[in-house]
Amino acid sequence: MQLIRTITNEPLYHEILGNGLPVYILQKPGFQKKYAVFATRYGSLDSEFEVAGRGIVKVPDGIAHFLEHKLFEEEEGHVFQRFAQFGASVNAYTSYNLTAYLFSTIEYFPEALTELLRFVQNPYLTAENVDKERGIIEQELRMYDDNPSRKIYRNLLNALYHKHPIRIDVSGTVESIQDITVDLLLECYHLFYQPANMALVVIGDFDPHQIMDLIKAQMESWNYQAQEIKRIFPDEPDTVCKPWFEQRMNISQPRYYLGLKGTVRHSGRELLKQQFAVNMIWHSLAAKSSPVFERLYNSGLINDSFGASFQAAPRYAFSVIGGETEDPDKLDAAIREAITELKRKQISSDLVERLKRQSLGSYFAAHNSLDYLANSFIVHLFNGTSFLDVPKVIESLTADEVNQFLQEELDLERSAVSVLLPE
Amino acid sequence: MDFIRHQIADGINLYLCETDKFTTLTVKVFVQNSLTAETAAANALIPMVLVQGTRSNPTRLSLAQKMENLYGSALGADVAKIGERQIMEFYFDMVAPHLIPNGDQVLAEGLATLGELITDPLVENGSFKQEYFQQEKTNLGKLVDGLINDKRAYAVWRAVKHMCKDEPFGLYKYGEREQIDQLQPEFVYQQYRRALASSPIDIFAVGPKLDQLPDMIRAWQWQRTTVQQLPPVTTKRDIREQEIHETRDVQQAVLVICCRTEQQYLSPDYYALMVANGVLGVYPHSKLFLNVREKASLAYYVGSSLEGTKGLITITAGIAPQAYQQAVDIIREQVAAMQAGSITDDELERTKIGLISGIRSMVDDPGSLIDRNLIGIVNQELRTPQTVMDSIAAVTKEQVQQAAQGIKLDTIYFLSGPKGEN
Repeated sequence: MQLIRTITNEPLYHEILGNGLPVYILQKPGFQKKYAVFATRYGSLDSEFEVAGRGIVKVPDGIAHFLEHKLFEEEEGHVFQRFAQFGASVNAYTSYNLTAYLFSTIEYFPEALTELLRFVQNPYLTAENVDKERGIIEQELRMYDDNPSRKIYRNLLNALYHKHPIRIDVSGTVESIQDITVDLLLECYHLFYQPANMALVVIGDFDPHQIMDLIKAQMESWNYQAQEIKRIFPDEPDTVCKPWFEQRMNISQPRYYLGLKGTVRHSGRELLKQQFAVNMIWHSLAAKSSPVFERLYNSGLINDSFGASFQAAPRYAFSVIGGETEDPDKLDAAIREAITELKRKQISSDLVERLKRQSLGSYFAAHNSLDYLANSFIVHLFNGTSFLDVPKVIESLTADEVNQFLQEELDLERSAVSVLLPE
Repeated sequence: MDFIRHQIADGINLYLCETDKFTTLTVKVFVQNSLTAETAAANALIPMVLVQGTRSNPTRLSLAQKMENLYGSALGADVAKIGERQIMEFYFDMVAPHLIPNGDQVLAEGLATLGELITDPLVENGSFKQEYFQQEKTNLGKLVDGLINDKRAYAVWRAVKHMCKDEPFGLYKYGEREQIDQLQPEFVYQQYRRALASSPIDIFAVGPKLDQLPDMIRAWQWQRTTVQQLPPVTTKRDIREQEIHETRDVQQAVLVICCRTEQQYLSPDYYALMVANGVLGVYPHSKLFLNVREKASLAYYVGSSLEGTKGLITITAGIAPQAYQQAVDIIREQVAAMQAGSITDDELERTKIGLISGIRSMVDDPGSLIDRNLIGIVNQELRTPQTVMDSIAAVTKEQVQQAAQGIKLDTIYFLSGPKGEN
């Protein structure tokens, strides 16, 4: 095991096991809670791939998420029951890039960790239990249909992208999940759930050596099928699919989101720099500390829901800015003008320093949350970046670099608008 | 990890939890008021206006920039409803002083700004600045209208409003649209002055080296008069079931069942009720999750929650419209089963360990460590995590059954789309 120290001087142990699984163990002295996340590089973006002997396979939308639901079922009953006896709470989530299984507990950590590793290694799928899950997921999807934040976001990604699988809702649709079968689920499972495609992060106040021994013992019995993963990704044009998209919904006031396609950077320090620099730029434009926010707020065009963010991973990069407004057209004009103005005037080095302070402060504050730490570790690892490099990267950013990102990433030529209107 | 109490002034208590466990220092201030139709909208508006600017930082822009310079500290306000109290909340959160350059200076400036935000607002002509008042009155109105954007929260709110139409608990924490529209600046400013002078105020802080805090907080511009005695929570015993159906353009129907019980926070067997609610619907091992979701495949979410001060249990489920009767029947059966004593040892133990784990993990998060005391300050009886855990551990199956027997269905509310067939 290799020992590294975090910025708050907490010991972090790291090892890549013989089967290829990277393991991180972070000690958090004084914390009652212990947390583990076991994740695979398999999300909704992995919708097309090549399988030896079968050729190219295109799977139904929402299958990674469906599989996540199904791994919770065991021949002996539901996984929830087994964690309940330890007082542990277990959960999972699926995103564009990954599926993560996690739990937190106060006591019985070794037992619960064993259980986590065991159930993810053992799919139990029958035609009957897959059908039953369809009913539950259908209600999950209907719930999302009534969620305006999710809807406007989904519409925006569909307006921004032509072919990219980021258009697909992580959970699929009521129609697409009808085509999901036991065989398809197992095919995806065997391809994407292999140790070298996964990672494990555990955090808490415990003996790291004991925990590592337990993990190794549990990994030895895993009878996985080592296969090469060949993901197929469509070529996405630089342009946007639809510049403006509107939909009506049962909501109290209109919502407006402007999306901007960014430049995809594949991994490492460049991606990390891009993530922090572009988020700092948006912060300077859309946070409460921005004169633009102040002006739009005082004119009654926006409220506290207004904000902006940038999301980037090795397969996508885009920005979103907007919120609730009484007048989407007027807000659209104001935001475009503010972006053009910012690009003309550039960001001063004083402001860059303040933004760096703010980013560093948030990074420190986040160390209180075990959930946040564990999940950030995984996301960075899968992105080919490092959570531990964040402070160095923030400190190293210069005003020139930030302004260069400003010119490149806030490109109104590659923007689309999604609007929701009350019925 | 317990809090030590310091008296700041008459009716103002400061509770300090000194620890170097966290990378942050958190301060929260709670100003308690009774929830009444006359004052709810005004009390909701006050924090929204206060965060617009203080005497020495007169705009939200200057406040926000100041916080950014203090290493991304957070300063803000909101309103909470606990039982029949409406609580204005103000908070300040910074990176722990020992982790940043000039940490002590950041703490001093941050805390002074929090004090200004609460006690030294921007005043013009003996009232809040007119522009801020008007702007936030508009925003509060929209905030209340926006309840419809979250269908589950909307449904729960409608159900509670039907159940408690003659009780203060039936008021929304941000007030009602009609009350907001009628707000006058003079009235709101007077209400602010009245709250600052006479409401019970409780301040909590968690972080390293808090020894300067009592003096820093005493230095705020408090102008205290006599402390108000707030009325106790009302309870209703004469219960008749009612069914309410509402139609809206929704994809998924929401079922809400509001129940009354016979225990509250101050009842000797309150923790038996907490365990009963856990067995019924808090966990994935609970009866509702197993029977409504896993067995019948009717819902993605289904669960129950307990409002301890008033002793209400609210059950919610997102279902297909045609599943209404089946879902109501299953939920009734599960409540009846508990009342008849059908509670297994596993259910009891898993619920108790789940509740106890929940309390133990609160001490890992400064916000939860503070917020868990809200129910205690409202009921004027703070309980340490240890006291609560011991009480939960001592609950027997018979006590859970007895508490369950006090659960009475009051309002069955159903929100569904126009084409929903019931």
